[in-house]
Amino acid sequence: MKIRLGISFRGGCCVGALMVALAPRLACAALGEPESSIAGDVQHLKGSIKSTARSNYRVHEIQLPSGTVLREFAGVDGKVFAVAWSGPAIPDLRQALGRYFDVYVAAAQAKQGTRRHLLIEQSEFVMQSSGHMRAFSGRAYLPQALPSGISADEIR
Amino acid sequence: MQNVARMVAAGLIGLSSLAFVSCGGGGGGASVAPTPAPTNPSNVVSVIVDAGPNNSSVNTLYTTVTVCVPGSTTSCQTIDHIQVDTGSNGLRLLASVLTLNLQGATASDGNSLVECTQFVDGYSWGPIALADIQVGGEAASSVPVQVIGSSTFAVPTNCSNKGTAEDTVAAFGANGILGVGVFEQDCGPGCAPPNTANTFYYSCSSSACAEIAVALNSQVLNPIPRFTTDNDGSILDLPSVAAPGTTKLTGSLIFGIDTQSNNASGSETILAVDGIGDFTTVFNSQTLTQSFLDSGTNGIFFDDTALTTCSDPNFKGFYCPAGSPSFTATLMGTNNTNIAETFTVDNAQILATNNPTFSVLPTLAGTFSTATSSNTSNTFDWGLPFYYGRRVFTAIQNQRTAVGTGPYVAF
Repeated sequence: MKIRLGISFRGGCCVGALMVALAPRLACAALGEPESSIAGDVQHLKGSIKSTARSNYRVHEIQLPSGTVLREFAGVDGKVFAVAWSGPAIPDLRQALGRYFDVYVAAAQAKQGTRRHLLIEQSEFVMQSSGHMRAFSGRAYLPQALPSGISADEIR
Repeated sequence: MQNVARMVAAGLIGLSSLAFVSCGGGGGGASVAPTPAPTNPSNVVSVIVDAGPNNSSVNTLYTTVTVCVPGSTTSCQTIDHIQVDTGSNGLRLLASVLTLNLQGATASDGNSLVECTQFVDGYSWGPIALADIQVGGEAASSVPVQVIGSSTFAVPTNCSNKGTAEDTVAAFGANGILGVGVFEQDCGPGCAPPNTANTFYYSCSSSACAEIAVALNSQVLNPIPRFTTDNDGSILDLPSVAAPGTTKLTGSLIFGIDTQSNNASGSETILAVDGIGDFTTVFNSQTLTQSFLDSGTNGIFFDDTALTTCSDPNFKGFYCPAGSPSFTATLMGTNNTNIAETFTVDNAQILATNNPTFSVLPTLAGTFSTATSSNTSNTFDWGLPFYYGRRVFTAIQNQRTAVGTGPYVAF
């Protein structure tokens, strides 16, 4: 691996504002952020993307170099309301969760020892993560931002 | 009560350094022993379920491992409370309990090889080192292991962006982890050339760490296939426990399958597992294709939206039903073998509150999901309570036993 675009994005996409001048195509398409910025995720994560329209939301599926697939779900309002992943590696969750990354870390620290399951259930943020080395899966979503008629079970 | 909430799983982890992975000693009940006394017979090591180094573990299985500087019979250290984990592969030691100076392993480019071991809730950053490993009377030479918690190299952003660091005995609930699952390597082909961007392995120089692919035999290795005998798998043999449980439990980890009189295959059902170590569980009409047996999970974990979950935040993720409901699930191997399993779930909060000294809770169970969503993970995780009262065979990939070729589990 050569030097990754990495260091500039240290701190996650949401420090991105600083970055914009330097790398205008990069932005953060994390949970709760605009769908228009998903292209920035793809670039940051060095993935390839496939997008699919569903009844009242769109799914952007990013194939990561690690072999893991990251899916970002965006509503008609253009906001990312959920992310889900599955594959051999945990994805870059700072990028995927954006402002909610710190919520995830705080909750995980409060429950140390839980290395094969994680369940965070807050009014504005839900995250479920499980699996073992070679096979992880998980999802995070904003319950209050779910499009009407969408069940959380569709986020996978 | 946080006891239960605290310890769910098993895993791995690590942290580390350069040429020599040394660690600051102390802690954890580790001690130096030049010559470990083998148990008898030599392919058996004692295992125990107890409260662990944090005095808070539940359904967590431990053993004692001796590590030596490769080739040395005197530079050795015996470390207790190493978690026995059939859900991972390879030995990982917490640097804070390691007093030996183990030689660090090098990546293919000659730099230091460091791993970002990943869990669902974080990562462990630490160097790979080579050690001779003795467990019971079995020995493996110059095996790559991970040393957790002593870092010479800064954690790369790519690794720290997985979550929170897990690199202390307190975070781990163990002095290390002995991964004795169905695979030879921890990561396997996904981290071998040409898969540079695997996000697990890094080549670290004094200036930077970069992702790197690692040949299979240089990855962290399950020590069992490296034993000279009894190297095709293992058997966990734990006594049965009546609910609500007991303070602690002692059993055996037996090495080898069909290699000695004490590890012969009998009438067990063999469940072959897929390329990631999983089989299928059918439960409540759900077909859960990413199911696994895991001595490193401290309960039975599955989704049943009809079963009441605990409302107390200290028991988040565990079930708290009224009464003691029983369930039946069917486990299906990739070899199309089926076997039904019945299990009982008790109220986790009542179990822990009424039995504060119990480290063994056979009816502890939990969920992956929330009240408003279900079945997200396609997983049924048969944790340590599944192992109580039976002999569970774990046959390693590519290893031939009298009744089949690994990877498979049987019981």
